[in-house]
Amino acid sequence: MSIFSTLEISGSALAAERQRAEVVAANMANAETTHTAAGGPYRRKEVVFSSSGNMPFRMMLANFRTLGFHPIPAVRVARIVDDPTPNVMRYQPDHPDANKEGYVSYPAINPIQEMVDLMSAVRTYQLNASAVNASKQMIQQALDILK
Amino acid sequence: MNDISNPIVQMLEKFLTLASQRHTLITSNIANLDTPGYRTRDFDFRGELRRAISTEDPVMTPIARAIPGLMERPDGNNVSMDRESLLMAETQLQFNIGVQLIRNQFQQIMTAITEGSKG
Repeated sequence: MSIFSTLEISGSALAAERQRAEVVAANMANAETTHTAAGGPYRRKEVVFSSSGNMPFRMMLANFRTLGFHPIPAVRVARIVDDPTPNVMRYQPDHPDANKEGYVSYPAINPIQEMVDLMSAVRTYQLNASAVNASKQMIQQALDILK
Repeated sequence: MNDISNPIVQMLEKFLTLASQRHTLITSNIANLDTPGYRTRDFDFRGELRRAISTEDPVMTPIARAIPGLMERPDGNNVSMDRESLLMAETQLQFNIGVQLIRNQFQQIMTAITEGSKG
């Protein structure tokens, strides 16, 4: 474990938060999409984060023996799941995707919820970016011992 | 042990090692701010420093433990953004102090060398 590993850890969080923001953007962009390649309306997506340090005990023990330390967990997007919220039905008889009764199913996307999620992702991104800056500064200081 | 690497420099080296290890843990806590089920991990800095200084061996990486008493969110995550930000600032300053003190030690040796040549 070196101080350079902090850059990787923060970097993993930056990547994960960026992907979360991308998913939010996709949700917002597809708020009115009633027709997808898979058929049916767009389904709202959500990211699930997982800590990459969750390794089996055997691997952990091997790590502990060789490195003398349990691994420091970074973060990654484990999977992107569909939101199970049922679709919203709107009465639009003229719409090409309308059913027999004249209702069109729209994805259940709440712009406020998406904005809050986006804001949270952006703030966490910023926090991790400042963590990168802190690490950089510490490495720079360590280099200054040489001067 | 020679004069260039005196006990103070060795002590400061251990201090810096521990500070950077703690910084790594804090970075990891911040990275996992939104990971469901993640528990804040940290170690007792003073205790570990005391232990490191009392031995001649190089610093063994301290064991990070889950920190009790933090408010847990419904998803099982208990990382506090404020605690981690403050700790990161604190660790950064500690590291800064350690670096300055080491530089000061080497500066003193340098002074001894240059002033000696003037005589």
